[in-house]
Amino acid sequence: MTVFKTFLKVLNKLKFVVIMYTVILLVFGVFNMQAGDSTSEFTASRPDILIVNGDKGSVLTENLVRYMEDNCESIDVKNDEEAVDDALFYRDADYVIYIPENYGKNVLDGQNPRIEVKSTQSAGASFAEMLLSRYIKIQNIYADEMRDEDEIINKINLSLESNVKAELTSQLDSGGLSRATLYYNFASYSLLAGAIYVICLILSSFNEEKIKKRITVSSMNYKKHNSILMLSNGVFAVSLWLFYVLLSFIFIGKVMFSFQGLIYIINSFLFAICALTIAFFIGSLVNNKNAVNGIVNVFALGSSFLCGAFVPIEWLPQSIVNAAHVLPAYWYIQNNELTKTIEVFDFNTLKPILVNMGVLVLFCAAFILFSNICARRKRKIA
Amino acid sequence: MDNKYVIEVKGLTKEYNNLRAVDNLSFEVKKGEILGLLGPNGSGKSTTINCILSLLKFSSGSIKIFGEEMSPDAYDIKRNIGVIFQEVAVFEELTVYENIDYFCGLYIKDKATRKKCIDDAIKLAGLGEFKKFYPKQLSGGLLRRLNIACGIAHKPSLIFLDEPTVAVDPQSRNNILDGIKKLRDEGATICYTTHYMEEAELLCDRIIILDKGKIIAQGSADELKELASIEEKVTVEINNLKPEIIEAVKSAENVDTADYIGNTLVITYKKGQNNFGALIDFMSREGVVYNKIFSERPTLNDVFLELTGKELRD
Repeated sequence: MTVFKTFLKVLNKLKFVVIMYTVILLVFGVFNMQAGDSTSEFTASRPDILIVNGDKGSVLTENLVRYMEDNCESIDVKNDEEAVDDALFYRDADYVIYIPENYGKNVLDGQNPRIEVKSTQSAGASFAEMLLSRYIKIQNIYADEMRDEDEIINKINLSLESNVKAELTSQLDSGGLSRATLYYNFASYSLLAGAIYVICLILSSFNEEKIKKRITVSSMNYKKHNSILMLSNGVFAVSLWLFYVLLSFIFIGKVMFSFQGLIYIINSFLFAICALTIAFFIGSLVNNKNAVNGIVNVFALGSSFLCGAFVPIEWLPQSIVNAAHVLPAYWYIQNNELTKTIEVFDFNTLKPILVNMGVLVLFCAAFILFSNICARRKRKIA
Repeated sequence: MDNKYVIEVKGLTKEYNNLRAVDNLSFEVKKGEILGLLGPNGSGKSTTINCILSLLKFSSGSIKIFGEEMSPDAYDIKRNIGVIFQEVAVFEELTVYENIDYFCGLYIKDKATRKKCIDDAIKLAGLGEFKKFYPKQLSGGLLRRLNIACGIAHKPSLIFLDEPTVAVDPQSRNNILDGIKKLRDEGATICYTTHYMEEAELLCDRIIILDKGKIIAQGSADELKELASIEEKVTVEINNLKPEIIEAVKSAENVDTADYIGNTLVITYKKGQNNFGALIDFMSREGVVYNKIFSERPTLNDVFLELTGKELRD
């Protein structure tokens, strides 16, 4: 109890470190989550379009106009070119579609008439363009094979409808999962930096040569003393993890009560244990308190950047991604990314996640082994 | 348990590669005595202590404490040992009270007993006003006292003090020395290493003088001084002493050496009586005017000088 109580007293002196990394997690992690939210909502937004229809009266053309109006916000401007250009310039419209005269008739004649467009090159414009391209592709397929206008329209509408249904089969709360992934990815930095910093500083206090000597000559078994110290560090790492999990329930909410939420929690627990073993390893190498700060910054920040905690890993060069494989954070973040996409829970979908967790366990074992080797070497030198 | 000796060291030898730091050392420490291990830096004092405490493996020999063979896992023996190392070993993050509590807690589990022990240690070290201070807020002397309090709080019956007064101000030194005497008065056996001969003379019942890992002399301070061939040392402060006077002093009866360095004449006498009076008479006769003159018995440094040919503080 004496050792644990002293551990807590020393930890109390370092509470500002825990607070600092928690604030970093809350500020940047939650900021990341907000950014993630706006990206995920993009798919649901309706771009503003302007249709200049030169083929009024054609049923086929009207079907195209209706489809675009159903999926986009159609705006009205004066029917002159200057007003159209102004609408684009002021972003009142993302995309302008010019349907030429006799468009419907020319399609039925198999002439493949050209539709002119003007675009702001915005995300909304890209979405509108995608909708238009999809419609025209389907229309051309049926127009090549059929001549009856009503039949072509029915087939087009059926195809477009089935496409929409296919998109809606997903039950994933993609927004919530994205936020959870961003939070837990960022939490890897706070967990790693917080655990290494605090544990290494505490270990450097207890492992100071003169203090160690005093403990060794005391009537307390040194191995027992060390075991209690390691256990205390474990309690700290698990408490830190638990605290960050609790914060995730507060900031992410519903998703954390799902099966995916459970995977995030188990995955982050394994990573917290891994951070603990890394801290033991660094603590067994370094006894200098000033050096700990530098090592934490280099290791935690470097690991987080390389493994995609701060920026999506797909933005990183392949060489960096390959190098990141030697860091535990890579496997942890990979699991978070996989969890985001999992919809059906069976062995096949869970297998890659379990493999990554296995790699994290192996990292833990390796760091414990390295720590023991270092400690033994130090004892021999002493 | 044999009550006579608390520590029994026989044929202790410790080698580092080809260097023999401790060479076939044998000595005993009686219950309730203060043993001083005196020697210059590198003479093997700390190595001997570290071997006794099983902090270092030794090459050969045997060590018994309280009649039992000492080993790294002899926790029953360790329970009754207190150690104060040369370097201050405390936690920067803990207050004075918390530091003593932690180190005392390594020996005593019971909270109430521990609290009493801590209070006693704080009182003995004179740290009552500084209980809530952190080590960085303490002066060097107070830090040393805290170091001692951490080592003796559990009330050990055998205490090792390894140069506890190095770089300590006179006030703190006196406080530390008084504390050590008090511990002895309370029944503790003390093994005290130092290279300050005045401390050894003042504190120790018995002194072992070490050099190059070997015992070169042992006994009480008075017994050791008997080993010196000189019996008296007279120091005279004189300006511009003529060479013929120095020669006359050298040839006087019982004089061993006479050296005039700077404005100080140091004369050592072998045996004989009234050497001091005879010197004063000689000075008066020759009309030598002197500023100060005093006589002293040989010091442990003189003993060491005679035995090894070098100063103790080298």
